[in-house]
Amino acid sequence: MSDRADPSLGQAIMFRSKDFLKWSDEAMEYLLRRSPVGAGIDLITKDFFNWATRNSLYFLHFGIMCCALEMAVASAPRFDQQRFGIIPRSSPRQCDILLVNGPVTKKLKPALRRLYDQMPEPKWVVAMGECAISGGPFYNSYSMVQGVDRFIPVDVYIPGCPARPEALIDGFLKLQKMIKENKKGLLTGR
Amino acid sequence: MAEMWINMGPQHPMTHGLWNLRVKVDGETIVDAEPEVGYLHRGIEKICEGLTYPQIIPITDRLCYGSSLTWSHLYCQSVEDLMGVEVPERAEYIRVMAIEMQRIASHLMWLAAYAGDLGMSVGFTYTMRDREVFVDLLQALTGSRLTYNYPRIGGVAHDLPPNFDRDSIRAVDYMEGRLKEYEDLFEGSKIFMMRNVGIGLLRKEDALNLGVTGPSLRASGVSYDLRKDMPYSVYPEMDFEVATLDDGDCYARYRVRMDEMWESCKIVRQALQKMPKGRWRMVSPRNAPAGTGLGRVEDPRGEAVMYVVGDGSDKPYRLKIRSPIFVTVSAAPKILVGYKLADVVAIMGGLDMCIGENDR
Amino acid sequence: MEAVSIEKAPSRIGENPEQRVLRALAESFPKTVSDGARLRPGLVRAKVDRSDIFRVCRVLKDNLGFEHLTMISAVEYDDRFEIVYHIASYQSKLLLELISTTPKDDPTVDSISSIWGGANWQERESYDLMGIVFRSHPKLERILLPKDVLYHPLRKDFKG
Repeated sequence: MSDRADPSLGQAIMFRSKDFLKWSDEAMEYLLRRSPVGAGIDLITKDFFNWATRNSLYFLHFGIMCCALEMAVASAPRFDQQRFGIIPRSSPRQCDILLVNGPVTKKLKPALRRLYDQMPEPKWVVAMGECAISGGPFYNSYSMVQGVDRFIPVDVYIPGCPARPEALIDGFLKLQKMIKENKKGLLTGR
Repeated sequence: MAEMWINMGPQHPMTHGLWNLRVKVDGETIVDAEPEVGYLHRGIEKICEGLTYPQIIPITDRLCYGSSLTWSHLYCQSVEDLMGVEVPERAEYIRVMAIEMQRIASHLMWLAAYAGDLGMSVGFTYTMRDREVFVDLLQALTGSRLTYNYPRIGGVAHDLPPNFDRDSIRAVDYMEGRLKEYEDLFEGSKIFMMRNVGIGLLRKEDALNLGVTGPSLRASGVSYDLRKDMPYSVYPEMDFEVATLDDGDCYARYRVRMDEMWESCKIVRQALQKMPKGRWRMVSPRNAPAGTGLGRVEDPRGEAVMYVVGDGSDKPYRLKIRSPIFVTVSAAPKILVGYKLADVVAIMGGLDMCIGENDR
Repeated sequence: MEAVSIEKAPSRIGENPEQRVLRALAESFPKTVSDGARLRPGLVRAKVDRSDIFRVCRVLKDNLGFEHLTMISAVEYDDRFEIVYHIASYQSKLLLELISTTPKDDPTVDSISSIWGGANWQERESYDLMGIVFRSHPKLERILLPKDVLYHPLRKDFKG
């Protein structure tokens, strides 16, 4: 029991469980994110985590139109993007990259936004092909969204109609360079 | 047991292309199915009413990107019917040869996706590697890997590059050797055969009534191939057989496509032998007369038809496209009922869907 | 009205399948089928009145051996809508182009999806893009555009 009447006996601090959790959250957050301890851990592990992230970029297995065939061919033996660590995954919760490779119609827009929201951080978006950049040859159609960057922020644009598999791999390598330059510590975010 | 609707939604590794298949399952057995299409509807028919006739050729390439040469050839055929343009013979032979090479590449692409879906990744790697042989040949001929923009109204864009016939004969010889290996590879795999034989039966009357065309129809016992029965271009001069099987299951569809690849190799050889010298392009008029034109070809996926209405100006008044996959997908509920949920992949993959032409 | 089937008709020596089909159609439906013409080997065209399209298609499928409905197109002209049916016969290797006209303010026609199941989705597409209403269609809904769209994009007065 708290004994405030007699301070010389010492004070036993009693927490309810949710107060304790709140206090421990704040303490850990201070320790890891704002204090020099967190910054020190970041300094040591930043390069390592960044190297691991950029060399194992998993993109979502989502094919829309012609550029999807070139995306499939890029996994084939001739162009082989797996040697850079780039593998398609089926579920959006397991991916880093949303590769938009075709025109986005008004019917598809809510589904694509939902896929983007389901992906965990850190995530990047690559717009492949003319249709995803600006609407492509169908830009003046009644059912098209003129470019995917109207509702999703895009990091890398790969032009071409269809974009060659070499161009796709080059786009991924540029994304890797971009990740390397914007190195951020996982804990402090700096 | 409780019944529920499952959404095999627009993003699913099984759906090659962007469509939604809603299946109603009772436990594991499928009771009903309803495909939802339209996620890729770009309004091509409306776009084409605002472009001149030669400007539409690259757009027709992107209708079905798995076999884009057949679609631009179909468009040129219907406009030539409307305008009354005669195509020189050398151009017809070049077109037929390129279309048959495209047919082999399209079937190999289908086989890669099909094998990859059924779990045989080795099928994916081998067939993709061999597809590169034909894509390289077509790149030497037309300049592009996937959407070629090669036929023109009145012929083809340019002549064959040097040494093309020597390279093609070498490629076709290589392909025939590899086809023998593929048959051993796929049919020797117990799991592949178990997932295919007896699954997805489509009876002959259902196939005819529902309008299914192409390899799926020929696998159900109806021997009808537009290249043989209502021939166009220089197909009357070619000597080949129509692959037909009676079973109507997924294995029969796979077998029909393998046989079609054999026949395409034969046609490529004959076309190269018989090709005459001469012009490869005729000048076509700018304005089309008022009237209608109709073109029909045998696409790797079925029978494709295009109906052009001209009104005297240099833009078409109406362009109507019949895509074979649009009708074949509407037959999906008939085929799927009664099988297990794990068979959906084999059945829908065996129909070889390319959603670009479905949604136009 | 009894349709004359090919087997019972008096034989015309030297008549090719296109003329046979046109003659059978003209004899069965003298008032509603008109303008039969042979455009090129393997392609015949006829015009049909829109009130009789169901019976004509029934005769085509059952008696004249046209097993396959290939395409249903809708074209809009200044004063009318034209609905063009392309029906193929595998036995006689023919393609028949049937044209039926509707006035501009009443684009309705009977549905033939109970004769050929392949007509189901094609009619839905014509309804979706051009606004032609098919009577007694089992499920006339939008198929290519989202379900809540109000316009018909392929009409000439729609500038998208």
